Amino acid sequence: MTKTILFVDDSESIREIVNFTLQNEGYNVLVSDNGKNALSLLDGKDINLIITDLHMPEMNGIELIKEVRKMPHYQRTPILFLTTESQVAKKMEAKEAGATGWIVKPFVPAKLISAITKVIR
Amino acid sequence: MNNEVNTQVKSYLTFKLGDEVFAANVSKVLNILELTKITKVPKAPAYMKGVINLRGSVLPLIDTRIKFGMSETEFTNNTCILVLDIILSGESVRIGALVDAVHEVLEIDDSQILPPPSLGSKYKSEFIDGMVKLGEEFIMLLNVELIFSTDDILNLKEVTGEVKQKFGDAG
Amino acid sequence: MDKLRQKFIEEASEHIRDIEQSLLTLESNPDNHELIEKIFRSLHTLKGSGAMFGFEKISEFTHELETIYDLIRNNKLILGKEVFDLTLACADHLKILISDEKKDNAEINEEYRNLLEKIHEVYSGESMPGKPSANQKDKKTADTGSDLSTYYIYFKPNADIFDNGTNPLFLIDELTSLGHFMAIPYLQDIPEIETIEPYRCYTHWEVIFATSESSDTLNEIFLFVEDNCVLDIQKLANGNLVDNKKFVKRIEKLKETGKDIGIDALKIISEDLEQSVASKVKKALGDEFRTSFRDYTISSIRVASEKLDHLMNLVSELVTTQARLSLYSENDSSSELTAISENIQKLSRQLRDLAFEIVLVPIDTLITRFQRLVRDLSKELGKEVSFIAKGTETELDKTIIENLTDPLMHIIRNCIDHGIETTEERLKKGKPEQGTILLNAYHSSTNVHIEISDDGKGIDAEKVRKKAVAKGLITEDNYLTEKQIYELLFLPGFSTAEHVTDVSGRGVGMDVVKQKITNIRGEIEIESSKNAGTKLTLKVPLTLSIIDGLLVRVEDIFYLIPLSAVEKIYAINHEDIDGKFNNLIVLGGERIPYFYLRKEFNLEADNNINDQVIVIKYETQKVGLVVDEVIGEYQAVLKPLGRHYKNQEIISAATILGDGTIALVIDVNRAVNHFANIITHMEEKI
Repeated sequence: MTKTILFVDDSESIREIVNFTLQNEGYNVLVSDNGKNALSLLDGKDINLIITDLHMPEMNGIELIKEVRKMPHYQRTPILFLTTESQVAKKMEAKEAGATGWIVKPFVPAKLISAITKVIR
Repeated sequence: MNNEVNTQVKSYLTFKLGDEVFAANVSKVLNILELTKITKVPKAPAYMKGVINLRGSVLPLIDTRIKFGMSETEFTNNTCILVLDIILSGESVRIGALVDAVHEVLEIDDSQILPPPSLGSKYKSEFIDGMVKLGEEFIMLLNVELIFSTDDILNLKEVTGEVKQKFGDAG
Repeated sequence: MDKLRQKFIEEASEHIRDIEQSLLTLESNPDNHELIEKIFRSLHTLKGSGAMFGFEKISEFTHELETIYDLIRNNKLILGKEVFDLTLACADHLKILISDEKKDNAEINEEYRNLLEKIHEVYSGESMPGKPSANQKDKKTADTGSDLSTYYIYFKPNADIFDNGTNPLFLIDELTSLGHFMAIPYLQDIPEIETIEPYRCYTHWEVIFATSESSDTLNEIFLFVEDNCVLDIQKLANGNLVDNKKFVKRIEKLKETGKDIGIDALKIISEDLEQSVASKVKKALGDEFRTSFRDYTISSIRVASEKLDHLMNLVSELVTTQARLSLYSENDSSSELTAISENIQKLSRQLRDLAFEIVLVPIDTLITRFQRLVRDLSKELGKEVSFIAKGTETELDKTIIENLTDPLMHIIRNCIDHGIETTEERLKKGKPEQGTILLNAYHSSTNVHIEISDDGKGIDAEKVRKKAVAKGLITEDNYLTEKQIYELLFLPGFSTAEHVTDVSGRGVGMDVVKQKITNIRGEIEIESSKNAGTKLTLKVPLTLSIIDGLLVRVEDIFYLIPLSAVEKIYAINHEDIDGKFNNLIVLGGERIPYFYLRKEFNLEADNNINDQVIVIKYETQKVGLVVDEVIGEYQAVLKPLGRHYKNQEIISAATILGDGTIALVIDVNRAVNHFANIITHMEEKI
């Protein structure tokens, strides 16, 4: 079955290139530009993986991860977040909020895919 | 594409030309300047008011009133220059637009925006992104990108008249 | 996305150009290893970034080409003519792929397949026995055993590992996909069925694992779970123990106990086994390490040209602000302020000069294209032509370089097509078989001269004159010097070719070349002599962004006239010009048409001013401009007026004066033409 990935990032160009890459890999892709909007997309759908940026307007990535983990349906859905090398503290914060892993920015598609295959098959 | 981005609240800057209120998406407005020394460029169309020195670069200045088919802007204490960032044939271009007064920034939800009226001439409605009702007044959301990239004079006065007929009286 | 793609396209074009350039240099110097490395790196980058931006074909294509160059750089294949031509063809195809990736054109696809096939032929036909595989990874995990190491991995996830979405089995899978392994799961902690909690993890693993990957890679697999598990990764031995029958046998025995084996026990076992394998591996590793370690120093960096434009803007802003500061400090008695101001003036001048230097680009960047043009075109026309470029290190503003490309291409095309004779003709004339085109660039005061000369048949002045007569451009009894006749070539629509050839007859003639050179404030000259050849000299300014001008005033607006065009300044009486019918004034014994700028700009005449006439000259045409006041010489940083003023007839740019006032820069070429048109018009009326 085709897996569905929700990608949350406030940068349109990043959304587009990730959307492009993931669809090329045969995933279903949903995109959203901030946490709040992402939450409304989760409802009533079967999403297999969530990838989110941490810095976003409205609702940031950490808040989003916390909210998602409160939803029974998504308690064990893998969540990856985007981070830069320099944000070690953020990494821990996000993991404590319930994230599965992270992808270091900037990334190339191969890196993105390899991170994804660590958590879904 | 399986894109889903939710509706958004966008900010609009409202400004006055004569008695009419218009609005432009704030994402296009870089700056609001007070009147400054204008250098007139000879042999230019009337709506091209001249150029001003914007922190070391030369900014073309457009008399929005003339562009909209009104009389030339008379300078008052309220006259302002909107510095706009528009895309012209694929290139980002900065221009200044003279307006009679700047009002306020409105938060407008996409859902509040009424579609542009289909006016007698299709050509005119392209310049309007939509309409918003504010109290008893209708405000036209202008597509500044399009308006300031054409060489034509737009008879917006005519448009506002038609809009009033269509919406104003009924609403 | 489009923007990203655009970036990629720009970058890719540059790489393709680099590849071409390196190849053309390699043609005469095939042993230059550095250039081969350069080609390899360019291909590698194209391969890597192509896929990311949706150019899969480019990725696939460069991947195959890269294989060839990998062989070449490892001296397993010789860069022969076949490979050489193939790579040039491939570079051409890459250009098409960049522009036409989205189009599904059968012809392009056909070409693509053909080239791929040829590439295959090259590297499968000529490679040595035991050719390296295209994929480095395949090679490394190949079953040789010599570059493998054996690791011990103990992995015990915390019971709550599922809670954050991790599936430990995926990690074990990922690990084992990297090499040969024995994975021993331990299930003894699983409780009785009644007490099982489905979302808790009760399993742990011991994995013995032979791989060529480094322990870093192995650690990376467990990156996400580092703090949710007990993890121990240790190197057990060099070489592959997993395929060692003795080793496996002893492990099988230990497994039966159902208890963890542990690193210590394993180490003892491995030490019992042969040592010879390990020593071999050590040596091999050492060699590899030495060859892969290189020093890299960065001698230049890439900067987006937008950033340079921005830098230039900031610098000119600084210069302007500094001018204001000087003005202010002059009127202030503080000597301290004066000292600071002078210092800032010095620094900003230096900064400005440096910034102008940064945007200079050597002509060298154009040469590859010309070499390529000469090579392809002379082949096509069956002529022997060599192309020599001198002074290619001469630098010009990048905008000028950009604007020079097309005119130069056209000129060189003309040289090959019309200038240089066929081999037979040349032999008959006693010339060397091979024709020569020489490009020579050098500085001449604030200009750069670029000469393009050929040793071809030269321009037949009589033929040109006759044609001009036939076209009605001159009359039969017009006497023209040879130089004047050559000038005719630049008139619109003039083309000397009797047959419109595929090469030069594309509707653009020398008039377009001239126009383009004029646009960048340049000039063009022709010299020619029969059977000896033709020389064209382009004279272009170093930079377009700075200009020496004469500052004048009309009413309250300042104008700047490029000093290079100013002939003379005369003071005149107002009565001499006002209300005159024919707009002609006698100055220095010459009748010169003049324009009263106040009138031209729709301003009222002012009788109280002592007007001044500035005579400007463009080519042979002189025009007088009447202004209110001449202020003086001024070195100005040019600023564009913006697209909204693109149709301006007289003004081409603006500059900002010390006090922040804007001055408008008069475009001499356009102004003279504009006024000359008016004169012609008036004469017709009369």
